[in-house]
Amino acid sequence: MSGSRDAIFARLEAARPPASAPPARMPAPAMPADPEAILRARLEFAGGRLQRASRENWPREIEWPIELARVTHLYSACSDDPVGPDRGGATLPARGVAENPHRVHDLAPLEICVLRGQFAVVENGAVWQVPATPLERAAAVLAEHLIVLVDEQALVATLHQAYERIDLRDLRFGWFLCGPSKTADIEQALVLGAHGPRTMSLVLTRD
Amino acid sequence: MHVAFFVPCYVDQLKPQVGLAALEVLRSVGVEPAFPEDQTCCGQPFLTAGEQDHARDLGRHFTRVFDEFDCIVTPSGSCAATLRGHLERFVPGSAGKRLAQNTFEFCEFLVARDLEPLPLSPFPHRVGLHASCHALRELRLGTPSETREPPRVDPAQALLARIPELEFVDLARRDECCGFGGLFSIEEEAVSCRMGLDRLEDHLRGGAEILTSTDVSCLLQLEGLARKREMPLRMMHVAEILAASLSGSSLAGRSPDGPR
Amino acid sequence: MGHVSRARQFVSDEARTKWHDEALWSIRMNRDRAADLVPDWERLRTEAASIKRNTLSRLPELWRQFEKEATRAGAVVHWARDADEHNRIVAGLLAERGVERVVKSKSMLTEECGLNPVLEKLGIEVVDTDLGERIVQLRHEPPSHIVMPAIHLRREEVGALFAREMGSPPDLDDPDELTAVARRDLRERFLSAQAGLTGVNFAVADSGSLVVVTNEGNADLGTALPRLHIASVGLEKIIPQQADLAVFLRLLARSATGQPISAYTSHFRGPRAAEVEPPNAKGEAESRPPELHIVVVDNGRSRLLAEPAFREALACIRCGACLNTCPVYRRSGGHSYGATIPGPIGSVLEPSRDPARHAELPHACSLCGSCSDVCPVKIPLHHQLLTWRARLAEAGHHSKRRRIAFALVGRLCLRPRTYRRLTRWGRRIARALPASWLTRLAAPWTRERALPEIPAMSFRELYRLRHDVPDVASAEDPR
Repeated sequence: MSGSRDAIFARLEAARPPASAPPARMPAPAMPADPEAILRARLEFAGGRLQRASRENWPREIEWPIELARVTHLYSACSDDPVGPDRGGATLPARGVAENPHRVHDLAPLEICVLRGQFAVVENGAVWQVPATPLERAAAVLAEHLIVLVDEQALVATLHQAYERIDLRDLRFGWFLCGPSKTADIEQALVLGAHGPRTMSLVLTRD
Repeated sequence: MHVAFFVPCYVDQLKPQVGLAALEVLRSVGVEPAFPEDQTCCGQPFLTAGEQDHARDLGRHFTRVFDEFDCIVTPSGSCAATLRGHLERFVPGSAGKRLAQNTFEFCEFLVARDLEPLPLSPFPHRVGLHASCHALRELRLGTPSETREPPRVDPAQALLARIPELEFVDLARRDECCGFGGLFSIEEEAVSCRMGLDRLEDHLRGGAEILTSTDVSCLLQLEGLARKREMPLRMMHVAEILAASLSGSSLAGRSPDGPR
Repeated sequence: MGHVSRARQFVSDEARTKWHDEALWSIRMNRDRAADLVPDWERLRTEAASIKRNTLSRLPELWRQFEKEATRAGAVVHWARDADEHNRIVAGLLAERGVERVVKSKSMLTEECGLNPVLEKLGIEVVDTDLGERIVQLRHEPPSHIVMPAIHLRREEVGALFAREMGSPPDLDDPDELTAVARRDLRERFLSAQAGLTGVNFAVADSGSLVVVTNEGNADLGTALPRLHIASVGLEKIIPQQADLAVFLRLLARSATGQPISAYTSHFRGPRAAEVEPPNAKGEAESRPPELHIVVVDNGRSRLLAEPAFREALACIRCGACLNTCPVYRRSGGHSYGATIPGPIGSVLEPSRDPARHAELPHACSLCGSCSDVCPVKIPLHHQLLTWRARLAEAGHHSKRRRIAFALVGRLCLRPRTYRRLTRWGRRIARALPASWLTRLAAPWTRERALPEIPAMSFRELYRLRHDVPDVASAEDPR
């Protein structure tokens, strides 16, 4: 095996092109004048939905994809408020298979998954999310409907600013999520809900 | 300034009236280019066929024939592109570089030097301007629809826009290839014809009576397809339209073989 | 059967060609609209191109850095010189762990290596989970586009396929409902899979991370559920630092499908964490700890790197924009190319792999240049195709007859007097011949096209007449 590695490195060394100048960096575009409107437009283009709510009362304020009372299986990243009781963010307990899952596969029947996102990217409507556990990650792609909560102040203009806020060396896994799972592989017809969530809401929360 | 005229081989042999029209237009703005008789081919068909050695030989021949001139004008975006793009490497040294940098497509030459063919009589026809890929993407005479570069003037359009009563047609795809591509038109004949027919249908849908371009190669392709299907389209090089407008002659009087 | 004959066959179905062409053109239009919304689109392309060019001059150190970081994070990095070695490594990893069911998200690299048949021969079930890939897998045909594998198929064809393979109602052809059928089937596969194979869009050297981009989320389902993740990555996919991701990701989805970003842009570093399971009766954990194996593949990439004329093609981020804008691809379809990767980029990459087999591909091009203009990393594709033609001619892949014909005409063009004389006689003869003879002689031009009227006099003869130029018949033709 190290034979292959050595062989490949030898080939790369032999084929090395002449040194080229380090790339000139463009300045990152600034935050536009009406970031929320653009964020909304980009997210809607991706089949997602932008909602607004207060941190302490969001479960009652948002429009749920399924009436909450009728939901049997719900994964919640807000089972307890991570910021501490004195911040007063609303909590929402897990339900059904998400109450005490052992394996990620147990989460297959999930109807709704609620996550916390770290920040949203205005130019493309995506949210940067770092699942706290492998169960949370699986929940996000198994659930029929996805809801991601992001602080309304946590907006960046473009991916350039996004990667300044992230350090990939600190993570096992992180993703940009934009809208529901989708495909256009059959005659270019857009279908929402290919393998993962059929709907996705990004909820901007305010204090 | 010592200006010379380079005639594309297919213009020379098949559409001489285009060359004559170009000379008429140049004359009208006070340019009397010389025509060195020993010119033959710019080498493009060889280059595109992968026959570099022959292309190189022809590049050298071109340089010998045109060496004494400051500036070369040719009614062909593809010939100009070939010479500008490759002469320098085919003819190392200053001669090749100088000629390469001073070879111009016909419309480009007029507009770059602010030469305005005048006076222009009305040319009351609906004209479809076909963008030659070489003129557009190699010489950057205009702005390709896929780029987001700062817009550049299309010299052919600028010249035609000055002609009274000439109406441009709108196209669904303003710069898709006609499918000529040199030998491509023979080797990939089926796709080439499909591409050309699609262009023609676009122009017809836009209401074009006349189809024009900076490149006779494109026009030969489109004319061949159109005539076989008896489509109501007439092909004229930009120089021919300018010459017609300059002379005030109606199109009806012109025979396909050019003026006698 | 090369591109010429397959393309002819494709084009003979006028309605289908028009449909295919319009479908791909609309994706090109989507790309244009997305580019409109990025004020510095061209500068972004320039930046991306310069990052890639710089990267190509630093591959050994970047891969060493990547290997160190990825290993530190718990991944295992393997090295494969060629397709066979890649397949052996992947098969070995699966066999060692008794894996029988694998799900795979889109990887043109595994397509290039021919992985699926190798695994299937070993009794391993491989399910391609990208919907387009799944469709062509069930049809036993290769993908016809690198981003939209089933773009050549109409909904009725997919409906018939699903009826046959998944028992859906035979007249079902609504894309929503067909996708729902696939969703149910593939869910079962994801849940029962023992390993997830993915490709890699970008390998990031400074963190040892992998970035995988999908719209369906199938790469995520395929790696969040099974505990074994095998990621295949080509040598050219590495980028130096995470900040570079912004440049490429801002270009990728916009160039590919006209979206500002795709639905899932997943960043992996090391194996996924294990969920805490209750131990079994013996007090052991049920499953193996999760693993990430990264297989880095050469398979001709270092050979291309050594070629100054073609190395820029290694910058390709597999967006497919060149396919969508190519007037030839749109009217001949991906299967006409007979290669893993069709279209302009394929016609540059494939002859490097097998010149004899793919000698026709650089000629499946009218040299319009649109591909080079849309390429997010500014590969001068049409210039490379032109260079290939010269290379292949020199290497003897062009027919002798063709070369002789060019040699004759070339020599003629170096003898102006002979040129003038021969062309004058040529025209005279052509004008004298009966039209039907001329038509037959000038086939294949005349199959679909009228011949131009042959003028009595050439431009130069008319010029000479008007300008009273004396015949310089006394001079010898220059050598």
